[in-house]
Amino acid sequence: MSDVKLAPTQCVGPIYRAESQKPTATVSTEVQFDALTILPQTPQLIALLSIIRNKETQRGDFIFYSNRIIRLLVEEGLNHLPTVEHTVTTPVGRPYDGLVFQGKICGVSIMRAGEAMEQGLRECCRSVRIGKILIQRDEETAQPKLFYDKLPEDIADRWVLLLDPMLATGGSAIMAVEVLKSRGVPEDRILFLNVLASPEGIRNFATRFPKLRVVTAFVDQGLDASNYIIPGLGDFGDRYYTR
Amino acid sequence: MPGSVIVGPDAALDGAAAPETDGTIAKRAHYAPPWADLSIIGIAGSSGSGKSTLSQAIVNKLNLPWVVILSIDSFYKSLDPESSRAAFRNEYDFDSPDAIDFDTLVERLRDLKAGKRAEIPVYSFEKHARLDRTTDIYSPHVLILEGIFALYDPRVVELMDMKIFCEADADTCLSRRILRDQRDRGRDIEGIIKQWFTFVKPNFEKYVNPQAKVADIIVPRGVENHVAMSMVSQFIQQKLVEKSTHHRAALIRLEIGGNSEPLSDKVLVMKQTSQLRGMNTIIHDIDTSSEDFIFYFDRLTALLVEEALNNAPFVEADIPTPQNLTYAGLCFKGEVSAVIVLRGGAALEAGLHRVITDCKTGRVLIQSNIRTGEPELHYLVLPKDIAEHEAVLLLDAQMSSGGSALMAVQVLVDHGVRADRIVLVTYSAGRMGIHRLTKAFPEITVVVGNMVQDIEERWVERRYFGC
Repeated sequence: MSDVKLAPTQCVGPIYRAESQKPTATVSTEVQFDALTILPQTPQLIALLSIIRNKETQRGDFIFYSNRIIRLLVEEGLNHLPTVEHTVTTPVGRPYDGLVFQGKICGVSIMRAGEAMEQGLRECCRSVRIGKILIQRDEETAQPKLFYDKLPEDIADRWVLLLDPMLATGGSAIMAVEVLKSRGVPEDRILFLNVLASPEGIRNFATRFPKLRVVTAFVDQGLDASNYIIPGLGDFGDRYYTR
Repeated sequence: MPGSVIVGPDAALDGAAAPETDGTIAKRAHYAPPWADLSIIGIAGSSGSGKSTLSQAIVNKLNLPWVVILSIDSFYKSLDPESSRAAFRNEYDFDSPDAIDFDTLVERLRDLKAGKRAEIPVYSFEKHARLDRTTDIYSPHVLILEGIFALYDPRVVELMDMKIFCEADADTCLSRRILRDQRDRGRDIEGIIKQWFTFVKPNFEKYVNPQAKVADIIVPRGVENHVAMSMVSQFIQQKLVEKSTHHRAALIRLEIGGNSEPLSDKVLVMKQTSQLRGMNTIIHDIDTSSEDFIFYFDRLTALLVEEALNNAPFVEADIPTPQNLTYAGLCFKGEVSAVIVLRGGAALEAGLHRVITDCKTGRVLIQSNIRTGEPELHYLVLPKDIAEHEAVLLLDAQMSSGGSALMAVQVLVDHGVRADRIVLVTYSAGRMGIHRLTKAFPEITVVVGNMVQDIEERWVERRYFGC
């Protein structure tokens, strides 16, 4: 990974402010893949991430602030769906040259942390169908193993928003995509929405599925010996559901 | 290095110097709200001559929130223990000019004349003392100052646009005074009569009556004098029309350069992503159900507020993560609050609270006059500590002429909010409106959902609230 500058620090803030008037923070590691979208590193996003990364943050705040990030991810993810031009008449009688989205969508969450992203998805897409996939690490082989899935029957006709907040090695996400592909979903109709990734995870995933759009809020510095993202935010599912 | 973050210059920005942005100096244009040039009408006269009745009658007749009465009685000096005992024995001279705190009165009138908020003391006649609380007067266009010594102090007289002296014969005055002091001020008849002959009458000859010399009009028979009343009402109405004309002219003057000059770099229009355009299409479509309209509008405004918050100040913070590592992150510098410009701004509240659940929220009702189109301030409640907030989001659904936005920003500035801390958030705006606003207040940030034609009806709030 010699081409990657880890944990870059830069000034963040609105363009009209001079650099000297902006605070500096560690921003997302840049990883070059055509199909990778990293959310704009605004001071707001950095502040939200700072809250959910902080080990002192209580569960209520963790849920609220991670939901705000997830909503931003969903909003950005939906931008990658196909559209057609569409002109409507406004209440004041003038025409508005707009567009409409084409095609049906569904969500698929990788249990259990991915399910924490369902609320954010529903806040943007009210009655969206949501499938679930349970993948766990096999104790004997240390490899991810599919335990359960329940997906919409017509999933092959839909765009799929795959949800998992943490992308460490990429093992489970890769397996989830394989499950979706086996149900007839083409790679380029899957959008992977992710809060925090490691450069290794991104590289593994994006090399394997070059046409699959990945939207993440932040690419962190790396992985530790036990394959945890660092500096990370701990176990997302634990912090969201039980701790 | 937490705390080292600078968010714009620290000096108050309401002076003549405009901040420098990218090497070009933004030229500030002058905006004068209609309350910046307050007209003061003084009504003096003997106790019981009908001053307050006349003032009340005039205000009731006009029935406009921006015509207010200020009684000089509010400026009675608080009494020291000795004078206080004398007062309770009805032996303190309340009818001498010495009993009035003219210095404070002059100060408050000058503040009001300059368009600022003024805290008016509350005097208790039962306790013969000022109470701890004050009442605020803000943004009247016309103020009627009434009291026996309204025309006494030359510094006060100098601030007045019209001076009235009420005359009534002494018998009438005494009988009115007995009725009033018994009913409103908790005095007994004996005390009232004692006061009258010891203080009121001699003071009248000595101090009150001579004020008639500086008066423009002398009104006999007080409130029964219909000719005088309509003269005064007409004068006030004429003043109000003048102010409205000046205000509208000031708004039009701010248009200069609107078509040629580029917009300030502190005007941020949301990136027109396909998702945003898709939501806009649903919101704009006249055939969209109101359920969908509200859903998509709330979703969009949450994004607008997220965008707006990027303009609030942040400070650097070292964050300990559960892995016991440190992340160099950011946190908010201080409190962010919001002010809703009613009614349109209320449509953005759901979006606001999705982002900041417990955001302190002030409210300002500004309506355009149906006849003249002039924006008028009807109602105002702001968080008490608003001047200390690091950022104040000013929310409105639409900005067309920019008149109500200008007025709302002026209100915030008058309440001590630094202009560079104000972020106006609006779903849609026209170029001219933004130009006018940033011409008068170059320091403020404007976050716009989408740019539209210059003048557009306020259809968003109608759709959102269904009426």
